[in-house]
Amino acid sequence: MTQDRGAPLLELEDVTLSFHTSRKTFDHGIHRVLDGVCMKVYEGETVGVVGRNGVGKTTMLRVMARILAPNSGRVTSAPGHHASLLSLGLGFKLDLSGRHNALLAAMLQGASRKEAEAALHDIKEFSELGDSFEEPVKTYSAGMRARLSFTTALLTDVDILLIDEVLSVGDAHFRGKALAAMQDRIAGEQTVVFVSHMAEQIKKLCTRVVWLKDGRVEMEGDPTEVVDAYQAFINDGHRQGRETQMAEQARRDTEKAD
Amino acid sequence: MSFLQYLRLADVMARMSLRADASKFFLGYLWWVLEPFLYVGVFYVVFTMILTSRQEDFLFFLMIGKFMYLWFSKSVTQASSSIINGRGLVGQIHTTKTLFPLATVQEGMYKQAAVFVLLFIILVFSGYPVTSAWLYLIPLVIVNYIAILACSYVGATLVCIVRDFLPLIGMGMLFLMFTSGVFWNVRELGSPEKSELLLAINPVAFILDAYRQILMYQTPPDLAHLLSIGVGFAALLCGMVLLMRRTSQFLALKALAA
Repeated sequence: MTQDRGAPLLELEDVTLSFHTSRKTFDHGIHRVLDGVCMKVYEGETVGVVGRNGVGKTTMLRVMARILAPNSGRVTSAPGHHASLLSLGLGFKLDLSGRHNALLAAMLQGASRKEAEAALHDIKEFSELGDSFEEPVKTYSAGMRARLSFTTALLTDVDILLIDEVLSVGDAHFRGKALAAMQDRIAGEQTVVFVSHMAEQIKKLCTRVVWLKDGRVEMEGDPTEVVDAYQAFINDGHRQGRETQMAEQARRDTEKAD
Repeated sequence: MSFLQYLRLADVMARMSLRADASKFFLGYLWWVLEPFLYVGVFYVVFTMILTSRQEDFLFFLMIGKFMYLWFSKSVTQASSSIINGRGLVGQIHTTKTLFPLATVQEGMYKQAAVFVLLFIILVFSGYPVTSAWLYLIPLVIVNYIAILACSYVGATLVCIVRDFLPLIGMGMLFLMFTSGVFWNVRELGSPEKSELLLAINPVAFILDAYRQILMYQTPPDLAHLLSIGVGFAALLCGMVLLMRRTSQFLALKALAA
């Protein structure tokens, strides 16, 4: 149980985050992204986050990485520990070569110029870009871009790694390689919070899973249990959607017949 | 990230941006000097052929005024939208938002250095003597840089919070061009009181005039006035740095949510 692990590395207490949108489609233009989220992350564990698009997964990671501040509630982390967000396409400059983009991305993640330059060889090798590494990124395919950004992200060294959808990229070969590399890190002491839509990956990598729904924690616990419940919910949603559609069609048909 | 590392990062961002920009054009880096000279050409044609300016050595007079004004206005205008243009990075990295305008201003400085060198060569070959007065260029350029950076931080913060400031800043720059003596002599306004008042309230007019006094007339600028402008902008700069550090997460939300 998580309670045995001492103090959490990172804790969200009743975190709420909302902002005014320019369009008044929400509650008086206020869009609530996170609504009283409580969550703890302990040292060495891998927490998976599942939920549909737009429920606040990325925003939650941004709050954890201190990029955004909550309107209310508290974010606390153990002294000296920082969380860093890894996501794809760290502001690529399309006219620059893969090499220069990698250099810039590594420095943006906190590496010094020397460290960044030293890492370039490994980035070139792992990403398997070959000569394309020296070509402008605008000539890359989507998969090649993803390979470059995953590799650059992989090399960062942080206490708490927040991963947003980086493993669902590239071709099957690279995806396997990326997954293996990530598993290596997770097997070590790395603490990870991991957002993904791929159920199998979550079950394989995570020690605990949190399901976010409408900015709230809907369920939390054993990966298999939570993922299965979440998938049942999604399938249910699909079925209900289909049923509504069929009912609607039937209604129109009767109207026509009349 | 240490302060030194932060400065290096801004510098690498600036250089990468310059490289990316240059790769877009057939004439590449040549545009750094070509653009300001073309501006001077346009103004020269209008003022000598159509409006028949009576200013002595009008070409050099115009060059100095236009180059300095362009450095100021282009840097501040571009830096003003730098945070919102850097949205992609803002959403992924927790950093003081001064990084973005700083990189943009640094980019402008590299371009200006090339323009400066060419201007000095032209002046020397046209028979203007290089005297000890040229040493005053050092404090003048430093004050000029601080003024640009301080105004850029103000602009970037305002535009990040409310986008509507962007056209206002463009309008302000146009106003500044007409009121700073870019193509007319601030010392020949008809009444000395008017000249003095303008030099006192418009620091850009003072800075432009100081460049001309040094380069064309070998006269040192009013050092007390230069110092007061320098201290004023340095204070504004420090205030903006403190403010932008404190409001980093608020600015991130504004950049991401609007």
